[in-house]
Amino acid sequence: MTSRIAKKRGEWINRDKPLTFEYEGQQVQGYEGDTISSALWANGIRVLGRSFKYHRARGLLSFANHDVNALMTDGEDTNIRADVWPVSHDMKLKAVNTDGGVIKDKNKYIDYLSPFLPVGFYYKTFYKPKRMFPFWEDKIRKAAGLGEVNFNYPRHVRPKRHAHCDVLVVGAGAAGLSAALTAAAEGLSVILVDENRQAGGSLSYDYAGDQTSADTLNTLLSEVEANSNIRLITDAYAGGYYTDHLVPIVEKSGITKVRAQSVIVATGVFEQPPVFRYNDLPGVMLGSAAQRLVHRYAVKPFEKGVVVTANDHGYRTALDLASVGVEVVAVIDMRISGAGQELTQKVKDSGISVHKGSCIYEAVPTGDKLGVKEVVVCPYNENTAEADTSRSVRLSCDGVAMSAGWAPAAALLYQAGTKMGYDYDVEQFVPAQLPEGVFAAGKVNGVFDLKSRQQDGRRAATEAANYLGKVVQLESFKAASVNRPSHPYPIVNHPKGKNFVDFDEDIQVKDFINAAKEGFDNIELMKRFTTVGMGPSQGKHSNMNAIRILARIRQLPVEKIGTTTARPFFHPTPIGHLGGRGFHPHRYTAMHQWHVDHGGEMMEAGVWMRPAYYAPAGSGLTASEAVQQETLAVRESVGMIDGSTLGKIEVFGSDAGAFLERFYTGKFADQKVGGSRIAMLLDEAGVVSDDGVAVRMAEDQFYVSTNSSNAATVYREMQRYVQLWKMQVTLVNLTGAMAAMTVAGPKSRDVVAALTEIDVSEAAMGKGAFRTGKVAGVDARVMRVSFVADLAFEIHVPYRAGLHVWKALMEAGKSSGIRPFGTDAQRLLRLEMGHHLVSHDTDGLTNPFEAHSESLVAMDKPFFIGQRSLKILEKKPLNKKLTTFVLDPGFNGEMPNECNLVIDSASRIAGRVTSISYSGYLDRHIGFAFVPPEQSHDGARFQIRTDSGAMVSATACNAPFFHLLESRGE
Amino acid sequence: MQDAVLMSPVAFAHALRKPVSGEVNGMETALSFDAADVEASRSKTLSICDVSNLNRFGVKGPQAANWLQTAGIKLPETTNSWTPQDNGSLVMRLGNTEFLLEDRPENDLARMLNDTAVNEVGVHKVMRNDAAFIVSGELTPALFSEVCAIDLDGATLAENRLVMTVIAGVSATLLKQTLNGQSVYRIWCDGTFGPYLWKTLLSIIEEQGGGPVGFNFYYSLT
Repeated sequence: MTSRIAKKRGEWINRDKPLTFEYEGQQVQGYEGDTISSALWANGIRVLGRSFKYHRARGLLSFANHDVNALMTDGEDTNIRADVWPVSHDMKLKAVNTDGGVIKDKNKYIDYLSPFLPVGFYYKTFYKPKRMFPFWEDKIRKAAGLGEVNFNYPRHVRPKRHAHCDVLVVGAGAAGLSAALTAAAEGLSVILVDENRQAGGSLSYDYAGDQTSADTLNTLLSEVEANSNIRLITDAYAGGYYTDHLVPIVEKSGITKVRAQSVIVATGVFEQPPVFRYNDLPGVMLGSAAQRLVHRYAVKPFEKGVVVTANDHGYRTALDLASVGVEVVAVIDMRISGAGQELTQKVKDSGISVHKGSCIYEAVPTGDKLGVKEVVVCPYNENTAEADTSRSVRLSCDGVAMSAGWAPAAALLYQAGTKMGYDYDVEQFVPAQLPEGVFAAGKVNGVFDLKSRQQDGRRAATEAANYLGKVVQLESFKAASVNRPSHPYPIVNHPKGKNFVDFDEDIQVKDFINAAKEGFDNIELMKRFTTVGMGPSQGKHSNMNAIRILARIRQLPVEKIGTTTARPFFHPTPIGHLGGRGFHPHRYTAMHQWHVDHGGEMMEAGVWMRPAYYAPAGSGLTASEAVQQETLAVRESVGMIDGSTLGKIEVFGSDAGAFLERFYTGKFADQKVGGSRIAMLLDEAGVVSDDGVAVRMAEDQFYVSTNSSNAATVYREMQRYVQLWKMQVTLVNLTGAMAAMTVAGPKSRDVVAALTEIDVSEAAMGKGAFRTGKVAGVDARVMRVSFVADLAFEIHVPYRAGLHVWKALMEAGKSSGIRPFGTDAQRLLRLEMGHHLVSHDTDGLTNPFEAHSESLVAMDKPFFIGQRSLKILEKKPLNKKLTTFVLDPGFNGEMPNECNLVIDSASRIAGRVTSISYSGYLDRHIGFAFVPPEQSHDGARFQIRTDSGAMVSATACNAPFFHLLESRGE
Repeated sequence: MQDAVLMSPVAFAHALRKPVSGEVNGMETALSFDAADVEASRSKTLSICDVSNLNRFGVKGPQAANWLQTAGIKLPETTNSWTPQDNGSLVMRLGNTEFLLEDRPENDLARMLNDTAVNEVGVHKVMRNDAAFIVSGELTPALFSEVCAIDLDGATLAENRLVMTVIAGVSATLLKQTLNGQSVYRIWCDGTFGPYLWKTLLSIIEEQGGGPVGFNFYYSLT
């Protein structure tokens, strides 16, 4: 059976290009340009999905992606919006949310249980007995969701682009097209966006049997196409509004973030269904859906149908249906007043009977409940919403077109901060006060007449142009009055229910009444209790009716009930679109490739890529073995680590010393040129936030290092304080400009000496000394440091020469057995030396007294950052102290991990482990832990609770730990 | 052949493409990635070229402008702008008191300034390690629309203006100039981000039908 009709003017399908695809195992033919839904409908397939909750059969409703009746899975892609997704060859489609297929869905029995499953029942049902909750939780989780998550889904990169324009017009219907043309005529750059595949809005389907308005559309589209100031984007929706007119436009290929100078919202309206029993059966659809099927895809919605309406649009729908040969049995008008005389006469002249003051009391399903058999029509009382069933009439039909009114597609306006008011002339919320730079036009603005919509579009564009500094005369006009487009209460009560308000969540009229009875009678509470508007449609077809029902329940005017605001993105947007390409910048040292080539196991250290350890191919080394060997090389011979990630900042100027004196806790004003001092930085609260080394290179020049992860933060803080303190200081961040490497171990001096004329002897270059000179022929800064070993040289060279110097040092150290070592070994080495790491062993609350760093704090200075806080803190008793500890010799139990807790004798939490590692060199487990001050002295014992709950004894122990070797007689 | 002492910060990111390499300004450089006609075609569509090897001189401080002027350098009058020297070198004013000078390969100005001792108070040399790229081609706006949030169609990059912006998550300096008669975009960023930015831009460029071009495409060395 086919419902395809003869070729129509303006149809969107290409009949020269037939396509074949599969739906639920059945071969289906369509045409290029068809959507999945239109192709299925053309082939007589009426069941396109199952409802979320009761698994009721569903067909087309809005046919505009404003509901989720038709969600499909096609192999890897799921939740495909069949209403708007184009068909393609070889698709293999299945409806989501079924078990055994859409026709034989095993879960359809749930519909029979629906009287026992009202909204909110699971809130009250499954929480007791408590022991049963896991069982029910499992069931509920399995029942939740629509499509299935494909864990093997490949990554498709969806770019996120940026675009800029003077005016963004959202919606390319009559108002939007007119607005775009007017703005462009003023020389403004315009981006015009529409969710449909072709622009035109209702001009492309709402004809009332007469397609002359298509001429208007063609004229507008031709003008838009010819205008170079307008960029038209179709098949895309504006997903949200953000501050300063930032609007993301979502296309299939990705998101474009449009930054506009002004925004015109001409988004139109969503058609709203009247509410009657079984208004969800396949074959019952919105009037505009029927029109779209007819005019865009040349498909009959049904063979013999009725139109139920509560506005004039139903009459226009009936005329469109009749124009393509649909037998329209009757127009059932819920209004006693009916439509205007001219329109009514046109309908009657088409041989269609009109029943004013009537309603569909219920649609009667076919035996298999997969379609409509007939409708029961009754006189309707608009005041009470009751049908007079004593005078019912049954009309045989296979479909129903519904028109009851409209809800503004105003999500962008709400998000922009528009104050909306209720206009009783059109029975619709309309903008009452728009934010600056935001304008509304057309139906969303309460203007329905076609000519008026175009005028309204021009008016909005003129206002936007004036807002942007143009001087343009406003065209004055008064919107033509129309018969009220929306019915104030298009609801038909039915004692047996199943009169659906929200098709996503199967919510019926009685659910609202029950919610109100339970006290959820505020729109926000009712939304959350009933879940109305919380499905994927986000209330597009349900929120307005829900508001009307709540207003009726509470006997309040609609505007007193208020509305809810759909958050951006107000239309479900794929995660892949939101993620985009994903830019994750990494920094690479000059020696990166060398590390990789030599088995470096690269890891992310903040934004840097660093080798954790080296396990060259074929070495067979485990990570642990590699780390222990690297550590041992440093202790017994020589090793080298790439330290380029250190923050490196030059501080110039006559106030350089005074600046550091205020910035850091120590003293620098009297520091000698060529010497270095530890530089500890606090925040205003006295918390340790960084430590490094400050070298005085000249009277007015310091070279300061910071922790790898803190370089940018420290530099930014320095810049801020230079401004605040108004000091004669110039700062240069050399972090990325200098490579650095540390040669460490007893043979490090020999290695460095072989490549430099600098005298690196102990006498000439003791601990903390700093020299400049050539290393491997390259200008270098060399410093004696002792972070990982007593004897170590930190060599800084220009980044571009970093690899050259590194290679030269490796070559020079070959005879000494030099090994590169990574960050894992570095951590163990500094632990053996007893050096804590800021931000690793300390946290966001640790002050210098707790980190036994008092010696780095010059409290006698007039000022330094954090000093005021320290003056308060030093008068208070300490709660914790960072201490080095060792586990018992020969310990072979479960090794504690970082963050394991220190437990006191009363089983209370007394502290935590911040670092712990096994040192092969010492053959002991050593670490740092926060403990109560009274347990921080050398020899104090405390207990650590491991992950499994086992208690491990530890002993506070002075660092460095090398004295442990002496106790073993080494 | 002895390894070059200096390496482009992007060098290892080039390696997989096996460019024809040579030394420019003492730095190992990708001279070409493909045949000249292929690179010429790319440059019209969308291309990227690593020019990190060009000599640069950075200077900062309250007296930096005076010092440069004394040295005979023509300076841009306003911040975030640039001006060419008579010999083709670029001088960028990155802030009120901060300048970056970049030579063409045949020039020696930056090297000479780097070798000049600075003894004046309020003048401080800034060691540079820029990854520097040239991006060209008719699809450049499409590339930048994806990696940069600012409007490059507007007056932002009008004649002799430069912008400091974020490109693919990396802070960068950007300007538009005419090079060999072709309108191109110039990008400078911290060299440690260079390999990332090169790979990221190149992946998008190749998606759009473009590719890398070597240093010789813009600065043919004889």
